[in-house]
Amino acid sequence: MKFNRIISTLIAVSLAAVLASCAAKGDNPGREYAPNMYHSVAYEPLSQITDEDAGAWVNALDNRSGEYFNSNRYNPHRMNMREPAPNTVKRNKYGWLPYRISKDSLDYASKVLKNPFDSAASVLDEGKVLYETYCKHCHGAKGEGDGKVATGVTIDGVQKSQVGGVANLKSDALKNISEGHIFHVITQGKGLMGSHGGQINPDERWKIAKYVKTLQK
Amino acid sequence: MIRTLKNGLGRATLLLAFVLFSAAGHSQEIPTDAAVIKEGESLFNANCKSCHAVKRKLVGPALAGVEGRAPSIKWIIEWVKNPAKVIASGDAYAVKIYEEYQKAQMTAFTGFKDDQVLAILAYVKSEAEKPEQTVAAAQPGAAVPAAGAGIPEGYLNLILVGMIIILVLLVVILGFILTTLKKFLDQRSLTDEDKEVVHSPFTISGTLQSPAFLFIVCFIVAAVGFKTVIDGLYTIGVQQNYEPKQPIAFSHKVHAGQYEIECKYCHTGAAKGKSANIPSANVCMNCHTQIKSGTVTGEGEIAKIYAAVQNNKPIEWVRIHNLPDLAYFNHAQHVTVGNIQCQTCHGPIEQMDVVKQYSLLTMGWCIDCHRKTDVNTKGNAYYDKLVELHGKTSKTNLKVEDIGGLECAKCHY
Repeated sequence: MKFNRIISTLIAVSLAAVLASCAAKGDNPGREYAPNMYHSVAYEPLSQITDEDAGAWVNALDNRSGEYFNSNRYNPHRMNMREPAPNTVKRNKYGWLPYRISKDSLDYASKVLKNPFDSAASVLDEGKVLYETYCKHCHGAKGEGDGKVATGVTIDGVQKSQVGGVANLKSDALKNISEGHIFHVITQGKGLMGSHGGQINPDERWKIAKYVKTLQK
Repeated sequence: MIRTLKNGLGRATLLLAFVLFSAAGHSQEIPTDAAVIKEGESLFNANCKSCHAVKRKLVGPALAGVEGRAPSIKWIIEWVKNPAKVIASGDAYAVKIYEEYQKAQMTAFTGFKDDQVLAILAYVKSEAEKPEQTVAAAQPGAAVPAAGAGIPEGYLNLILVGMIIILVLLVVILGFILTTLKKFLDQRSLTDEDKEVVHSPFTISGTLQSPAFLFIVCFIVAAVGFKTVIDGLYTIGVQQNYEPKQPIAFSHKVHAGQYEIECKYCHTGAAKGKSANIPSANVCMNCHTQIKSGTVTGEGEIAKIYAAVQNNKPIEWVRIHNLPDLAYFNHAQHVTVGNIQCQTCHGPIEQMDVVKQYSLLTMGWCIDCHRKTDVNTKGNAYYDKLVELHGKTSKTNLKVEDIGGLECAKCHY
């Protein structure tokens, strides 16, 4: 009787220990229920399993690689996404073609480009939200070039690195720039500022340009 | 021969005179007044800072020592007011600078007065003379408050061990007191009744074998075991607290917390699409073309971005949040339309050095939020009539569950 009790206690303890190891912690993602559902056979964004044998133990068919393998064998680095086909362009919902004025043609761009949006309150509101998302940490809330990335921060007495060369949008040199100038600089970058065309859509850039003009007043 | 010597002497004197004059001229002309330096600082920050630093080359040259480098103070003033004119005049130094900086011309500050340029120069000079601030000097100071902030774990363990020792000692002492008391009472003449109380049949082995005690122990063991088993079963398929090591030790605490860079600056997909997206290396390079060494991790981690850019090889981040295929989730729907903060689901990301999955991401967790959360109807004409209708039959606000947030096919299809 005593022996049985010891056995049953042991079983309970080991079962608990096994189950406790199911939880995710650190590098271990934990035990999965229906693992096929977590490892998509279809291409998924931001998840790439390059090991061809991964998940072979759940294979339903014999004639294919492991069930979890979801990379493209024929792309560089086995990536799932590809650059668009050469000589094709994307039109956005406004029907605009990609921006093609080169980086060093700032003067030309600032003369030629016109903002397709008017100064409606809704445009400015959107511009403000976008400015605070994409510009504020360097150029500052009021455009004075005093964002935390530009001024640097001091944490526990240690001065952290800062990005130099952030323009003060209210300075005499920039006060009178056109909205086309702002659009071009956001798209292509200028000086030490990198190109932000990949992060911000063209219509959003125009809205930011509108808002920056109100900051400069 | 004499003529050449005379000529040479003359040239030397001229040169000496020029050097003396210009040296004297420089230090004389730049004001050292504190008020002027202050004015110069604000002018510098407003106009020059975007391209120049005092001790560092940015778009334009580092300005420290410019008063000694440039031909004259007058030249600097003319240059600041209209660089194009100075270059066009064929001035050798101007042309050299112009060529050196890839023909990127400095903006003309025609509005500046001579005094203002001098004030800027005064500020530059005072900054240049300041001793270099080293990080190493600042660090010991930083370590002190960190140590004082909380009790370290080692101390806590020591305190616990100490307390246990004290408790054991107390038990031993009490045992001694018990035996001495018994002996003392035995020496006195007691009635039988009292003797029975003193020598009660209470023994440790007796208690351990009593059915009541066994029942309590079995019950506790069974209950704890049952709860552990159920809890364990519930963690299957739940990846909360998954905290994998990433290929680059990127810290959200530094970027989002300390520098206050908005989440959507890098995760551009959050407002626009199904997936929030991990930024490609070119987004990192917007700042890291300049910042080559981190205060926490040094150069090694940032160098990995450069390697990725150079070899045109994507960085393979480890995906943390992974919904099974049977459930559909869209970031834009929640972030843009619902106006939900990132932290609502992802937790205090801005305090995490290593990101971990903060939420359960189970169906119960989704449903719970859909039951509790008000629909963001403000300024959205689409909802106007719906809100009106809902107001007629209900006293609570329009919740997500009222617009189909609990329908199976909203997420499972």
